Amino acid sequence: MNILQRIKNKVRSRSIHVAYVDVGSCNGCDIEVLACLAPRYDIEQYGIFVHNNPREADVLLVIGAYTPGWEEKLAMVWDKIPSPKAAITIGNCPISGCLFDRKGSFVDPPVKKHIPIAAEVPGCPPRPTEILQAIMSVRDSVFFDWEEEHP
Amino acid sequence: MKRIVDVNIPLGPIHPCFKEPVRLKCEAKGERIISAEVELGYMKKGIERIMKGRPWQEVMFLAERVCGICSVIHNMVFIEAMEQISDISVPPRAAYLRVIVNELDRMQSHLLANFSYCYTIEHETLGMYLLDLREQVMDELERLTGARVTCAYIIPGGVRCDIPRQDAEDLQASLDRIEGDLRRYTGMFENGPMIALRSRGVGILTLEAAQRAHVVGPTARGSGIAYDCRQNHPTYKKLGFVPITRPDCDNFARVMVRFDEVFQSIALIRKCLQELPKGVIRGGGVCKAGEIRYSGEAPRGELTYFIKSDEFGRIVEIQIQPPSIMNIEACCHEMIIGSDSIADVTSTFISADPCVACAER
Repeated sequence: MNILQRIKNKVRSRSIHVAYVDVGSCNGCDIEVLACLAPRYDIEQYGIFVHNNPREADVLLVIGAYTPGWEEKLAMVWDKIPSPKAAITIGNCPISGCLFDRKGSFVDPPVKKHIPIAAEVPGCPPRPTEILQAIMSVRDSVFFDWEEEHP
Repeated sequence: MKRIVDVNIPLGPIHPCFKEPVRLKCEAKGERIISAEVELGYMKKGIERIMKGRPWQEVMFLAERVCGICSVIHNMVFIEAMEQISDISVPPRAAYLRVIVNELDRMQSHLLANFSYCYTIEHETLGMYLLDLREQVMDELERLTGARVTCAYIIPGGVRCDIPRQDAEDLQASLDRIEGDLRRYTGMFENGPMIALRSRGVGILTLEAAQRAHVVGPTARGSGIAYDCRQNHPTYKKLGFVPITRPDCDNFARVMVRFDEVFQSIALIRKCLQELPKGVIRGGGVCKAGEIRYSGEAPRGELTYFIKSDEFGRIVEIQIQPPSIMNIEACCHEMIIGSDSIADVTSTFISADPCVACAER
């Protein structure tokens, strides 16, 4: 690995842009992601910038139990993100459907079936610090050795 | 007549200003919006279908997860409807504790809505101040109920846990702190010349249009309709509740109504803590058969549950009418039409505080 690649790795893992997409949750995880922006947790001090543009994003936060309205659309959003990229699911819904995955409902969990997932944060809803920790863990495992794995 | 449309502008479903996916299709002539249409269907989970045939112990938790922002009021309306069906009486201490938790939930919801509005008009400083204040309210909610968002505090015949004396004193102290901070931020919003340029006279919803569209909640009270479901609630009647209205009909009025309601909530919680009666917090009771239509005031407006249960307390038929449906429709058929620029579309839409998870369920 030459010095240029090392610099690229370092810069990539220090500046993460986040987009979030809600594929059918109860809104509880949404507001916990928004709470990460608050001065108490202050997500921007770690170089993580939350805005909702998939074309500029590095990390996609997926919230919710995958409703039929997102059929194909979630994969399209995932394709629009330039690599290196990682998807993190927030809450129990994308993992198991939580209490929405019952007879008669329209949801189709887990989200893992539809797009590749790098990390999962369980909880109904998880605390903002846990969401922050998940993004930080992905930062080291996906972005820091990207240049070695994809020369 | 031939219709001249310059551009069709779709906004969403993934948009920096929207918390939840919703698609707004605007037709513009120059910069002026001449018509708008909202496309829902990204969040439809079919909660009412899951609820049918299940015992109330399960439906209670499902009702809470209709909407995560206003989860306490969904819990409260469902449980109070079941109590009305089965003639379960609530101990007075539990009734006052319910009001305290409900008002704390309303405070955090209104602060979040006003944060979203400030964020949308790009006044990020004020938005972050409000979000920080919301965290303090969430701390109080967590101390009282044990969870931040979905707390399942209210159960038939009472509430789950009592408020110790030390916690009540801490709640008083932090209410004083929150009120002082919020008075400063409200002054910033009220007197900011740039905020006034983006908010005053934008997104007009006249009294007649509001009555025609059947809007509810702070959107209706910002247009001068003095209707609030809390007027009919027995505990709020004891506390002497009077709804707040503003006659201005624009975005500014809607946001200011929410600020005023947070002050009102603080006053209500103080009064509850002062008059908090002694006694038990759980009376107990058995849920029986019957049917009822029961309403309560959610942070976004009137929330109605229609429930039919059988003799074992199972839910046979349930229908939920959340407030956001009317507000979203009024938004795209009355408020957005005639906006002077595309930037005003998102801020007008957010000022009505739409909750898509509620509306689609």
